[in-house]
Amino acid sequence: MFLDKIAKKLLKAGLFDIEVGFENGSVVLRGELDSWEDIVNAGRLAVDTKNSRGVINDIKLKGFEEPPMKMPLLNDDKYEGKKVDVLVIGGGIVGCSILRELSKWNLTSLLVDKEYDVAVNQSSRNDGEIHPGIDLSPDCIKVKYNCRGNRMYPKLSEELGFTLKRTGQYVLYTKPIGSLVWPIIKARAKKNEIAIENVSQKELKKRQPNVSDEIHGATYYPNVYVVSPYEVTIAFAENAVTNGAEIALSTAVIGMEHKDGKIYSVKTNRGTIYPEVVVNAAGVYSDRIAEMAGDRFFTIHPRKGEEMILDKKASALMDTVMGRFDISSSASHTKGGGILITADNNLLLGPNAVETPLREDLSTTPEGIDMVIKKQQTLMPRISKGSIITYFAGVRASTYEEQFVIERSKKVDNFVQAAGIQSPGITAAPAIAEDITKYCIEAIGKNISKNEKFNPIRKPIPKVRELSTEERDKLIKENPDYGVIICRCEEISKGEIIDALNSPLKVPTIDGIKRRVRAGMGRCQGGFCSPQIVKIIADHEGISIDQVAKKQQGSEILVAKNKGE
Amino acid sequence: MEMVCIACPNGCRLNIEKNEDGTLLVTGNKCPKGIVFANEEILAPKRSVCTTVRTTYKKLPVVPVRTDGEIPKEKIFDFVEETKKIVLDRPYAFQESVIENLFGLGINVVCSVDMNRLVGE
Amino acid sequence: MYDVVVIGGGPSGLAAAVEAKKEGASVLIIEREAMLGGILKQCIHDGFGLIRFGKKLSGPEYAELYIKEVKDLEIETRLQTFVTSIKKSQEGFEIIVTSSKGMSTIVAKTIILSTGCRERTARQVFIHGTRPVGVYTAGTAQNFVNHMGYLPVKKCVILGSGDIGLIMARRLTLEGAKVLGVYEIKCTPSGLTRNIHQCLKDFDIPLYLSYTVTRVFGEPRLTGIEVAEVDQFMRVKPGTEKYIECDGLILSVGLIPENELAETIGVKIDPKTKGPEVNEKMMTSVEGVFSCGNALHVHDLVDYVSEGSATAGKNAAKYVGTKENEANVSSEGMLSLVPQRITEGEHEIIFYFRTLCDRKKATLTITVNGNEENKIVKKYTNLLPPEMERVKLKLNVKGGDKVHFKLEGE
Repeated sequence: MFLDKIAKKLLKAGLFDIEVGFENGSVVLRGELDSWEDIVNAGRLAVDTKNSRGVINDIKLKGFEEPPMKMPLLNDDKYEGKKVDVLVIGGGIVGCSILRELSKWNLTSLLVDKEYDVAVNQSSRNDGEIHPGIDLSPDCIKVKYNCRGNRMYPKLSEELGFTLKRTGQYVLYTKPIGSLVWPIIKARAKKNEIAIENVSQKELKKRQPNVSDEIHGATYYPNVYVVSPYEVTIAFAENAVTNGAEIALSTAVIGMEHKDGKIYSVKTNRGTIYPEVVVNAAGVYSDRIAEMAGDRFFTIHPRKGEEMILDKKASALMDTVMGRFDISSSASHTKGGGILITADNNLLLGPNAVETPLREDLSTTPEGIDMVIKKQQTLMPRISKGSIITYFAGVRASTYEEQFVIERSKKVDNFVQAAGIQSPGITAAPAIAEDITKYCIEAIGKNISKNEKFNPIRKPIPKVRELSTEERDKLIKENPDYGVIICRCEEISKGEIIDALNSPLKVPTIDGIKRRVRAGMGRCQGGFCSPQIVKIIADHEGISIDQVAKKQQGSEILVAKNKGE
Repeated sequence: MEMVCIACPNGCRLNIEKNEDGTLLVTGNKCPKGIVFANEEILAPKRSVCTTVRTTYKKLPVVPVRTDGEIPKEKIFDFVEETKKIVLDRPYAFQESVIENLFGLGINVVCSVDMNRLVGE
Repeated sequence: MYDVVVIGGGPSGLAAAVEAKKEGASVLIIEREAMLGGILKQCIHDGFGLIRFGKKLSGPEYAELYIKEVKDLEIETRLQTFVTSIKKSQEGFEIIVTSSKGMSTIVAKTIILSTGCRERTARQVFIHGTRPVGVYTAGTAQNFVNHMGYLPVKKCVILGSGDIGLIMARRLTLEGAKVLGVYEIKCTPSGLTRNIHQCLKDFDIPLYLSYTVTRVFGEPRLTGIEVAEVDQFMRVKPGTEKYIECDGLILSVGLIPENELAETIGVKIDPKTKGPEVNEKMMTSVEGVFSCGNALHVHDLVDYVSEGSATAGKNAAKYVGTKENEANVSSEGMLSLVPQRITEGEHEIIFYFRTLCDRKKATLTITVNGNEENKIVKKYTNLLPPEMERVKLKLNVKGGDKVHFKLEGE
């Protein structure tokens, strides 16, 4: 009955020859269409959360073949035959926070990720806002995890030593609708106990003088924070490793073997692993992993977002988070994003939202960047294109339901999913991790005791630039390397770089260092310091300088000796 | 014909015509170097060349060297090949010859740095 | 307490320090790198020093001569020492530095900011596409090749015809890399004409004017780039895009004076030069703070860096702290003009300027308060924006006077 309705909706939208079926409790769409936009539209029209678990959208794009997943060059048997209680697939913030949560229990856990580091995709390609949880329909699972996660962050920041800035957030009115929407927002906020404040145009101008005169006031959310999302992910990962968990980087899952309705083994480029329980935290590939595991009932339709970072001088304009009130923003597919002061004190603009069939397309476009900057200039006219120091893109792992998939599989006994996580994934991750860990322990089915030796504290690498002169002096007297500045723009010392090379999850590459200590993230974008960092890595690791890579294997910086010697 | 004098950063645009006696009439030059340059450039172009040579010091894997005069343009890559053979295993002094009388041209190849200072510091 | 603290030990700082010391001041040079010499250390090509020393030297040699002088004059230096902040104090300035020895405070009567410049990056010229390894600024590539002895690319394209880009085209070719071409967005080259000849023409490296790089491809390593022709407004002409297979993209798309430290103490920046506004003594808008070298304005010849920096050094040493009346200098038809202010009195002043556009024949007219009768007129031929001009003038001004430089001609 409801399938007929969906079929009718598709026809009405002009999407012909689409077969609508029902498998694994989900609506299945098959056929072929000419445009990706139409395919995404079909997937959206097929959503019926009352009658189905989700949408499996297998409509093919005419003339398009999805490129194979980008694989690491590495091939060895390091993990061949490895037995673990829990195998986590995916080293984003979700996977890493799960791993840390698992390390609170007496069980063995291993996280695999195909990239050269954790937090390489979505988890490093977002603005790092810890959301209030308001711009979503108040009853959905996203809001539940968002609000829980938001409240967990202050304690996590203390334990794991990452920067958490309480910035608050202004949602700005571009039209004089403040008094109209206030009661609705108030009611939503009350339901989830979110602190809010109505800010008049005059008051807003007083607090944020650089906001455009065209803005008619704002709603203010005091309990909004910003973090560096990759710093947080790395912190989770390091603390997990310190507490006995294992992380295998450059390790891609390429298949699974089943026995008795359960996953028996997981094949990787580095050997076959035998886990008791498998956790799917694979981001844009999470529907593929679900398919391998035998319980696919959702589809990831990748949604790219482009963001840009401004020179620190522009940070004088504001020190908070700003977005635009959009009546239709109850769904999470935002367009154009907002302006935010990052944990490291740069202004960040964006992201936009572009549907794409390419899961790993991290390229930026002039149109995207221009669109974002123009949109933000309407909120803050003094923002200029000239102060952009860098930009990047990320791909969101959106499902057609625009909801998180967080559950122990109803079909495959030892499979747990934290899939389809997109914004507000950073906020929600620690709360998701608690539930996923609970599901894992249930799935193991044995009595698992608490890890009494679990140490929640992670000692972060000192940020010398943020210390007082006295503290900094003391630190240098203990280790003179903290006094040798390598990255001049961000004031990063050799000591910090060497700390990163000695950290529990070391990634001895230029970008591995950059993501841990910020060397190369300033206005010169590593022009001055990268040659020095190549030397420091080579010296510390005992390798020759031409073996030092930017990211993964295959991205070595130096390609030949002079004169081809 | 026209050419740009590279003898100094002025980069004068030279205009060259042939006199009846076969000598060149050079105009556009701000100094006498332009006339010398134009004559050489037409008859036998020459360049000074700078490159690096390897050393045995880890701190200083390569050091810069240059020809202390100009060599025929067609010898540039021969010179580069020649520098491949050199590995400095002691600290050369500032402007000390690394190769003497290159290709019998009466030109030396000199070290551009004071290696003692750089290795020592 | 020093009379003069020089921040930055590159060619500019060395020349300023030497001159200040010769004037009898107590001088300290603070340098963040382990060695003096700044960027000259990696500029191993020759052509330096023809004006200053009357001979053709390489960058390291030019630096070496100054370093020797610094040693002979027993000028104090602090190497691998980084200035974290500057505060104004009763005596002048407190400079907080960090080094392997710890944090310390240096007190200075005057400061010379010779902090150099940095290169504009790929993102600052809006190159899009992937973020592969293989995209470098020319200076970074120069460091890899000339200091480390390794090539970062085997087959590359150079975007921008700035001098370092041209120099690197030759260097990479000599060291065995293939340079496919130099692409310049403007319709004229950005570097010195002689470098077009000795670095590109000598090695048959093509120069494409009115072209730019629109996109890069490859992950994790660069596999190719897209270039396209641009119109007179530097907008890409649709349909002219062309793919070039390469593993390297080297950028020489401009230098930006580094004045982040200067700005923290309120030094006024000239939007044209991106460096501080100075008077003929090279003193900035902040009393006792001087600026010189590429931090003041980007030069194309180190010899002029030394000349201007010596002026800064001499005047910092002589600085007694009395505020002087000043005349303002304005310009038209110029990309930049330094100094922007002149102190009261009669002096011989060296001005440095760049023409706004190519001019085969040009006239420079200098007037004070619009007075046509006492105007100074200079004639020029072949003025190009990439080539900085130097002019020495005798001027007599009073505080509040308006000195105007007008450059015209086609």
